Amino acid sequence: MTPALHIDAISAGYGEAVVLREIALTVAPGEILAVLGKNGTGKSTLLKSIMGYLPKLAGRIAIGGADVTREAPHRIARRGVAYVAQEKSLFQDLSVEENIRLALASDRDWPKARAAVERSFPFLLERIRQRAGTLSGGEQKMLLMARSLAADPKLLLVDEITEGLQPSVIERLGGVLRAERGRSAAGILLVEQHIPFALAVADRFVVMDRGEIVDAGAAGAPGAAAEIARHLSL
Amino acid sequence: MTALLLDVVTTAAILFAVASGLLLVFGVMKIINFAHGGLITLGGYAALITTQLGLNPWFGIPMAALFGAVAGTLIERVVVRPLYARPLDAILATWGLGIIIGQTIVLVFGREVQFAAAPLGGTIDLLGESYSLYRIVMVPIAILLGLGIALLLNGTRLGLATRAVIMNEDLARGLGIDSTWVRFVTFALGSALAAVAGALITPLSSVDPNMGVPWLVNAFMLVLVSGTSLASLAAACLVLGGAQVIVSSLYSPVLGGITIALLAAIILRTRPQGFARG
Ligand SMILES: Nc1ncnc2c1ncn2[C@@H]1O[C@H](COP(=O)(O)OP(=O)(O)OP(=O)(O)O)[C@@H](O)[C@H]1O
Ligand SMILES: [Mg+2]
Repeated sequence: MTPALHIDAISAGYGEAVVLREIALTVAPGEILAVLGKNGTGKSTLLKSIMGYLPKLAGRIAIGGADVTREAPHRIARRGVAYVAQEKSLFQDLSVEENIRLALASDRDWPKARAAVERSFPFLLERIRQRAGTLSGGEQKMLLMARSLAADPKLLLVDEITEGLQPSVIERLGGVLRAERGRSAAGILLVEQHIPFALAVADRFVVMDRGEIVDAGAAGAPGAAAEIARHLSL
Repeated sequence: MTALLLDVVTTAAILFAVASGLLLVFGVMKIINFAHGGLITLGGYAALITTQLGLNPWFGIPMAALFGAVAGTLIERVVVRPLYARPLDAILATWGLGIIIGQTIVLVFGREVQFAAAPLGGTIDLLGESYSLYRIVMVPIAILLGLGIALLLNGTRLGLATRAVIMNEDLARGLGIDSTWVRFVTFALGSALAAVAGALITPLSSVDPNMGVPWLVNAFMLVLVSGTSLASLAAACLVLGGAQVIVSSLYSPVLGGITIALLAAIILRTRPQGFARG
């Protein structure tokens, strides 16, 4: 089966500073892969590289079998990639509806998107005209998740969505991710520092350290949590 | 008194027409297009050509829009887009382009001051005052321009994409919006608006190769105090344009000519966000 995402030894960074060193990983359709690692190890840089925001120094990235190594972000997005950035990922001054519509290829997809929102976070439909910036922190994260699922993505890139959230909201987001995994064939790359959440939701995990993948395993394996915790505390 | 009030309102309308294209380009591209003055001049000459061809003077407005859009299309593709990552250089380049447009006009039309026919002449009796009909008509035209832009931004898919690019271009790109296209369309539209403004002001002033310069300076200052909001721009045009009219008629036209720039500088000093909310 063609992988949803295949990364072949990419190196990337900011100008002269190389942050990622020969990262390789694969996400199958319908699979959730968690990427864990300490602050500043390059997790967000990895997602930005996949999304086409950063030039690649070496290596190759394929999405659904197509080479996207040199493609621009909007082209990658139009291939069915939904990206939830770690920061500033909503238009605060736009309404809930406008935020979601922006993720669709055309306004004709709105009925389908609406149905997807109804499935995941129905409360958003009651607040569809509200400005996104007036939602609470947890609600904004739910809107982010709803937006990323609205266009029925083939690949979902999520950057530390649980950061600073209450346990009840985290549980809700996890439930939606699991449901999406069961429903669609989307591959999901989940960047996390919250180990229990990541292992509860993901099928497999990799651990990053200083721009390299230093460990990998099955999320359900006994001792996985302890193993990851050791990496994160080192 | 009534005449002064009408002067304030009509001046604000004209300023709004002149500055709206600059504001649009500034919002999307985060650069001030200093070729805006040259594009205003281009619009003035579109009106002049219309007169020389013996066409209905109203025809000068679509003619100017066409000239401006074509010039804007070329400028964006050839000059502004390659300097995407170097906004300061892009601004300098538009400055140079303004000069090139002016010189080209000198080559084709000569240096002398010329006059385009007014689409509307005569006066209208308003509030017991006999006032220039053409100046009055500027008010509904400016309102229509403003509403048209607002409708485009708030009522269409392209407008939504444009607002998204104004607010956060990287985020917009990540959602599948081709921001290069949005920039292109915006620049062409902003240039067309500049030229239309140039055609609109020709019956009020003469046509010459430098006619756009004072308007550019005022439009620039107005955009600086308005940020990216059309409503703020309208407010700024009323307040600063009003001050200009009052200073011109009560003190001296020379002082009036620099009132907008002076007041804008003071406003930015005391309230950096200017007329924008927040
Ligand atoms: N825009 C940038 N320009 C230059 N260097 C950057 C930039 N963004 C991040 N870096 C550097 O790249 C490295 C990796 O940062 P990155 O944001 O990818 O880490 P991260 O694993 O996502 O961390 P966190 O868990 O804190 O989000 C860090 O050393 C950081 O300082
Ligand atoms: Mg990060």
